[in-house]
Amino acid sequence: MASRNLRRNRVRTVLAVLGVCIGVLAVAALGIFGNVLALGADDAIGDIGTQVVVSPNNDAGVESLSDADIASIRRAVDGPAVVPLYSDSATVARQGDQTFATVYGVEEPALAYDAAEGRLPERHRQGAILGAGIAEDLSAGAGDTVEIAGSQVRVIAVLVESQTFSPVAPDDAVFLPESAFSADGYAQALVVSDSGAEARAAADAIREAVNARQDRVELFELAALVDEINEFFDLLSTFLLGLGAISLVVAGVSILNVMLMSTVERRQEIGVMRAVGVARRDVLRVLLAEAGLIGAAGAAAGTLLTVMLVAGLVVATPAVDAALVLDRTNAYYLLLALVFGVGVGIVSGAYPAWKAANERPVEALRS
Amino acid sequence: MSDRDAPGGPTASGYAVELRDVVKRYPGGGDEPVVALDRVDFAVRPGEFVAVVGPSGSGKSTLLNVLGLLDDPTSGQRLLDGTDVTNLSVAERTRARKESIGFVFQDFHLLPTLTAVENVAMPTAFDPGDAGDRAADLLARFGLGDRLDHEPTELSGGQKQRVAIARALINEPAVLLADEPTGNLDTETGESILGEFERVKSEGVAVIAVTHDPLVEEYADRVVDLTDGVLTGGIPADDADDRSGPNSDAGDDARRGGRIRRGGRPTAATDAGGER
Repeated sequence: MASRNLRRNRVRTVLAVLGVCIGVLAVAALGIFGNVLALGADDAIGDIGTQVVVSPNNDAGVESLSDADIASIRRAVDGPAVVPLYSDSATVARQGDQTFATVYGVEEPALAYDAAEGRLPERHRQGAILGAGIAEDLSAGAGDTVEIAGSQVRVIAVLVESQTFSPVAPDDAVFLPESAFSADGYAQALVVSDSGAEARAAADAIREAVNARQDRVELFELAALVDEINEFFDLLSTFLLGLGAISLVVAGVSILNVMLMSTVERRQEIGVMRAVGVARRDVLRVLLAEAGLIGAAGAAAGTLLTVMLVAGLVVATPAVDAALVLDRTNAYYLLLALVFGVGVGIVSGAYPAWKAANERPVEALRS
Repeated sequence: MSDRDAPGGPTASGYAVELRDVVKRYPGGGDEPVVALDRVDFAVRPGEFVAVVGPSGSGKSTLLNVLGLLDDPTSGQRLLDGTDVTNLSVAERTRARKESIGFVFQDFHLLPTLTAVENVAMPTAFDPGDAGDRAADLLARFGLGDRLDHEPTELSGGQKQRVAIARALINEPAVLLADEPTGNLDTETGESILGEFERVKSEGVAVIAVTHDPLVEEYADRVVDLTDGVLTGGIPADDADDRSGPNSDAGDDARRGGRIRRGGRPTAATDAGGER
């Protein structure tokens, strides 16, 4: 019955549905855009947020980190993995291609990095691990042989592209076993935590323990910055969602208008229904069903459009990673917009429906 | 209340619907409230066809609304099937309307989105169970068996009014109230509709029609006159003997009615002229 009443004035119904549709589209699309933006930023800066890079403080005359320093760092952080690194630079060549790269000596690469190709050993004893950038430059993969500073070394793994801007940039680096280095101290140490908060705590602990008497080390940590950035993106998301919500409110007003006009138009019909014994509750139900239908149809169409829009965005913009868009949190925004759309329909239908159902049939019939 | 159910009692018994000393006042434009019904006594037996006549604005619609539980009397008593239904809650009134009263309106008031059979079943649309078969039977009885799935726009005036009557009868009411049932129909169609009323009343339904149409008066068992809120001949003659002088009342009312008929309309016309 409700749907037939809606079909009676198609144009008006379609306009109201369109209003909700656009409102839902705005809420869902803006919500998802904000979320993808935040997720993308998180992805890009995530590593540095959880990494603390400890370097010797050259100003204080400390040129390298000793085993004792590493030990006291380990004691201080209690939890996050500490990966000490030797550092040097060398020419890396393969089949005529050659490039200049930072060479790190590392014993436990698996603690700090992930392999895209090959396997990272628990203890790095032999072979080279290439950063993604170097591997691409030399078109080398796991199993190939590269020449590092004149000696042939087999590649055992290639790292995942990191997208970070940490002082220890693995993309353009080569990782060798510690035994390849003859230096007597580490150049840097990475402290790898699970979260920004843990990283910050670790940095504070290192400052307190290792730099207690003398500033022996310098710390590079971006956890606080990352928090600020995250906060900003939260704000941005809320702001975008707010913009969407405004359009949903506008849609709600248009439903209100449609329902109000439709109940005024059908005043007599509703009066007749009441006169022949249809209860107020049932009149209310029919009218609410109409408003709910408008809301649901609009919300469904809006959700569908959003999915198409976002899919189009992914296809058209290579910078947007499909994995980010398929993140579960985005489904939450879709669901939110869907529920909002139906809710707006029912809420704005409620007043006209209540008004129509409670009018005395005598008055309604007289007109 | 229930003691009035006993048939053959001295006063109320046996009436399908009854008004006792009913007064209905509306707040008017001035200080004086408008008296639409002035101490009206009215009773209709099951199977009786009563026509209510009277000039416009005499309170006929109010009478129908009060009888049909669409409006409550200011004072007095209203009985339906011997049960006092003077003061009911909105929900109770709605239920009583559905169970005991059928309405037939002048301009049919069918829902344009529903087919004929759905219109007939509409009063029961929100109840469990499907009244579609009953509705189809009713329409078939009124000769509309081949029009079940037509929408109101595809029906003629007489057909629409038949659908409306069928709708009024879907819940087997005790009382059928008709407001100008022939007002929008030509004489021939009007006659056939009145023929339907005769059939309805032969099934024991009390039929009350408010009308201007002399044709309706011809078909009615009893014609009552409502003028200026005063009803004449509201009680069936053989029951009215023990009530105070119906004849003198009638004379009184006739005088009042005359005053309105002769004086009221020209006054309204003068007013309208004055505004321009």
